Amino acid sequence: MLDIKDLKARVAGNDILNGLSLSVKAGEVHAIMGPNGSGKSTLAQVVAGHDDFEVTGGSVSFKGQDLLDLDPEERAREGIFLGFQYPVEIPGVNNAYLLKAAMNARRAHRGEGEIDSFEFLKLAREKMAALGMDPKFLNRGVNEGFSGGEKKRNEILQMAMLEPECAILDETDSGLDIDALKAVAAGVNALRSPDRAIVLVTHYQRLLDYVEPDFVHVLSQGRIVRSGDKTLALELEEKGYDWVREAASA
Amino acid sequence: MATETEQLESLVNRRYEHGFVTDIATESLPPGLDEDVVRAISARKNEPQWLLEWRLQAYRQWLEMDEPEWAHVHYPKIDYNAISYFAAPKSDDDRPKSLDEVDPKLLETYDKLGIPLHERARLAGVAVDAVFDSVSVATTFKEKLSEAGVIFCSFSEAVAEHPELVRQYLGSVVPRRDNYFAALNSAVFSDGSFVYVPKGVRCPMELSTYFRINAANTGQFERTLVVADEGSYVSYLEGCTAPMRDENQLHAAVVELVALEDAEIKYSTVQNWYPGDENGKGGIYNFVTKRGDCRGANSKISWTQVETGSAITWKYPSCLLRGANSVGEFYSVAVTNNLQQADTGTKMIHIGPNTSSTIVSKGISAGRAQQAYRGLVKVMPQARGARNHTQCDSLLIGKDCGAHTFPYMEIRNPSAKVEHEATTSKISANQLFYCRQRGISEEDAVNMIVNGFCKEVFKELPMEFAVEAQALLNVSLEGAVG
Amino acid sequence: MSRPSDDKLREIVARFPTTREEDWKYTDLSRARDIAARWLEEKPAAAASASPDRAAAITDSIDAAWLVIANGELQTSRPPDGVTVGKVDYIPLGDSALAEFNAALVSDGIRIRVSGKVSTPIGLLLIDSAERTSVSQAYVEIEFDDGASAGVIEYHASRGRADQYANTFVTFGIGEAASASHVRIQDRGRQHVQTSKTRVRVGKDASFSSASFDLGGCLVRNDIDIDIARPGADVSFDGLYLAGDGQHIDNHTRVDHRVGPATSRQEYRGILNGRCRCVWNGKAIVHEGADGTDADQANHNLLLSEKAEIDAKPELEIYTDDVKCSHGTTVGQLDETALFYLRSRGLDRNAAIQVLTHAFAAGLVTRVPVPAARDAVSSLIERRLEELAVTIEDEES
Repeated sequence: MLDIKDLKARVAGNDILNGLSLSVKAGEVHAIMGPNGSGKSTLAQVVAGHDDFEVTGGSVSFKGQDLLDLDPEERAREGIFLGFQYPVEIPGVNNAYLLKAAMNARRAHRGEGEIDSFEFLKLAREKMAALGMDPKFLNRGVNEGFSGGEKKRNEILQMAMLEPECAILDETDSGLDIDALKAVAAGVNALRSPDRAIVLVTHYQRLLDYVEPDFVHVLSQGRIVRSGDKTLALELEEKGYDWVREAASA
Repeated sequence: MATETEQLESLVNRRYEHGFVTDIATESLPPGLDEDVVRAISARKNEPQWLLEWRLQAYRQWLEMDEPEWAHVHYPKIDYNAISYFAAPKSDDDRPKSLDEVDPKLLETYDKLGIPLHERARLAGVAVDAVFDSVSVATTFKEKLSEAGVIFCSFSEAVAEHPELVRQYLGSVVPRRDNYFAALNSAVFSDGSFVYVPKGVRCPMELSTYFRINAANTGQFERTLVVADEGSYVSYLEGCTAPMRDENQLHAAVVELVALEDAEIKYSTVQNWYPGDENGKGGIYNFVTKRGDCRGANSKISWTQVETGSAITWKYPSCLLRGANSVGEFYSVAVTNNLQQADTGTKMIHIGPNTSSTIVSKGISAGRAQQAYRGLVKVMPQARGARNHTQCDSLLIGKDCGAHTFPYMEIRNPSAKVEHEATTSKISANQLFYCRQRGISEEDAVNMIVNGFCKEVFKELPMEFAVEAQALLNVSLEGAVG
Repeated sequence: MSRPSDDKLREIVARFPTTREEDWKYTDLSRARDIAARWLEEKPAAAASASPDRAAAITDSIDAAWLVIANGELQTSRPPDGVTVGKVDYIPLGDSALAEFNAALVSDGIRIRVSGKVSTPIGLLLIDSAERTSVSQAYVEIEFDDGASAGVIEYHASRGRADQYANTFVTFGIGEAASASHVRIQDRGRQHVQTSKTRVRVGKDASFSSASFDLGGCLVRNDIDIDIARPGADVSFDGLYLAGDGQHIDNHTRVDHRVGPATSRQEYRGILNGRCRCVWNGKAIVHEGADGTDADQANHNLLLSEKAEIDAKPELEIYTDDVKCSHGTTVGQLDETALFYLRSRGLDRNAAIQVLTHAFAAGLVTRVPVPAARDAVSSLIERRLEELAVTIEDEES
């Protein structure tokens, strides 16, 4: 579904990704781990199309088409979802309004009509209940004054509503207490399906206790230096990232 | 980054929708201003002697005053003798008795402006006193209002029917010689609206006036006077548009509000005068004096404005907080694009004890426009317990525009609490990316973010006008993403 | 430099700014004009040299290499290594009557040059003594070579019962990647007048940090103009004014961001008690093309008396879009909850007020960029606040 080949990218003159390759198939959950500065977030941003990052080599294809040619909104409409590490506050813009506009943009892209308001509300309330979110959040400004945990739940809510084919969650577990972490994990698990791919970008192993990955990759200096199954995450937790660095330079 | 800026610029380039000229004969005075013109205006309107004297005094005072130059706006000197000071639709001789008698072309004009008198009046429950150039042509819902004892009529009519009220309150908030443009208006004002809400009455509907400048070279000088007697409430909306013309037209209105004890006035403006073309040719000079007097204890005056038009705006709706516990509010959204210039803001003068005021100003500047917020918060020594909060935010779109803030705080009472916050920024790239990652187009994202930026102000507008204001803003930012 | 005729000087004095000018709206210079006129009338002999003795306490308490300028004349100078002191070749005429007045009368324009990293701060003691009506002028240029760094402490004091008016110009030229720290303490006689202007040119990647403290004077007007014409500048300045009966203290700041990226931050705080008036006018101008500018202004005032007035005006003029600018201004009183908290811990009301006003002022003291001056600044503020606190007691009794 998502094929990344020899991807190189830089920001503000610094090379961050140095030939990264990754192939994600439908139905799979991949975890990408690595120390700070290894390029995890850059990878997520580049796939989503942030223009601060300059792609200097390699390719990214999604469902067989070249993703790098598309604008960020086109990628989103094709089914790429990025759960932001730092969800952006947009003061004054109603959460429900953004959500509905986003759903309708995706529906229009697929040639479907706009979602019925009643249906939308019903769906949103269901998903929010499952995430343990107060329905009042629908009428608040997008992430405006939300706590860290609330912002992350809001990301998962958006993902649940938009039902993307490929969700990339960038450090969605950072800064969460155990209840929030469980709620977020439940949200992710609910989305697991044979025709969907999920990429978890994370620094710690603990999210993986709740969302069991099929593959774990370790990133260092902009490259995947090791891949394995979920046991790799445990090994990493035990031995620390220095072990990877040593392995990488060895 | 450059392309993003270009795209944003193209988003805000749009043409003026209300630019058309109504082709009906108007009867105007020849250009020029002297005492005879003042007399002629007064005579045309069959005014009593006292009002003529009042006008003449204003004219003499105006002659001795200088045009203000302190505002952050630039324009060629106005030749006051090149302006015609009176224009009335020809049909003035036999004025329409009802809407059915109104010149159909006029009605068409209002339709184009999106003011369907019939529908709006009936469905929205809005009484509209429409000012076409200078003479009021149609007033609806008068009966229902008069049942409640509310007087809502053209200014000329008020002079004829309620001279005692007019005489008591005219110039009591904005004195004739208050400033250059107010003095000019006092000398030559043509018409406008008059509202009186009697004691204890809650006005049963929103009152609304649409202003429009039509005839070439015609200054429009309305005079609006709203008096809310003790314990009454009224919400008033004015909408302003003007057709496209190459030359600049002068608009110098005066609005006076008086709120007596426990009374509340909510005054909302949606101003969409012709701003001139993208090269700055034409457009309205909007030099307006608006002031409310919270004369009685516990009174409240709230100004809300959405300003997207005019070539030059010079406008500071203000509140004199004289009554104990009185409240003044100012909520403003101003959009300037191309070569528009705006110097706008408010003055909150705290005189009585425990008075409070709130200022929320949102400025959006695009193209080569220059916009300034200018505000004064003054707390007099006797104003114990005064409170003010000011929030003043500017959003910049493009490299060539400007946004300026000139707030004055003059505080002379130690129990006062005054807070002022201001921010200036461009639309954040992160916000845009976030929206786009959710599949929303750049254009929609810009609209969304700008509307969110203005939300605090829009929520102060009466419901039906909030929708209109939002639409107006979207139109302002409409355009293809490059 | 030959001194112009008295007629010429009178003509300059007549052109001093008036409250009709926007920049002088709140500050009436009549008193300065009056002192200058009388001084010219009395045909003074050469100024009697002031004795710096009585300011010795300050110069002793701050470890710096002091230059003493008494009644506008350089008396002693023992510059530290890396610093040379000389005279300026000419004094630019400036763009105001005050600058002209200064240029016409200043006897020695002083030029200080900083090369390399200088650890001992440079002290400038500007002291005037007024046995009779007098006017003094000071003109100081401080040039920082590329990469140089030093601290500069200005201490303005005056003695004597007669009327005195000091008109001071200090210019900083800060070279590439140089770093200037600056402290200005104004502790003049309570009946004396001062106008001062500080002009700062900030070089590429250079930094300027400053803190100024106004404690004395009856009519004081300070202007600080900072010009950022090279990218990478980092400017940060604070000011504190403590005003009591009979004082008028006006601080005007102006930062011109001509290029970006650059950062400027300023915070002024004021405590006003008694019949006094303070003015703060902060102006940040972001010129066309100054992309990447980050400018922040803050001004907070404690108004403690019925007779005090504060006029605050934070201005932003912005001509490009890639900026982040903000300002915040507050006028108010001490936090009642905090007062109550302290009283519930056994402090009486006045003691509680003192604790909170000290805390309000102390926030800026910890940021004084020349560490050697911190203790002295702190004790001067302490002393001044004690004087002001007495007034509170008087009013309440």
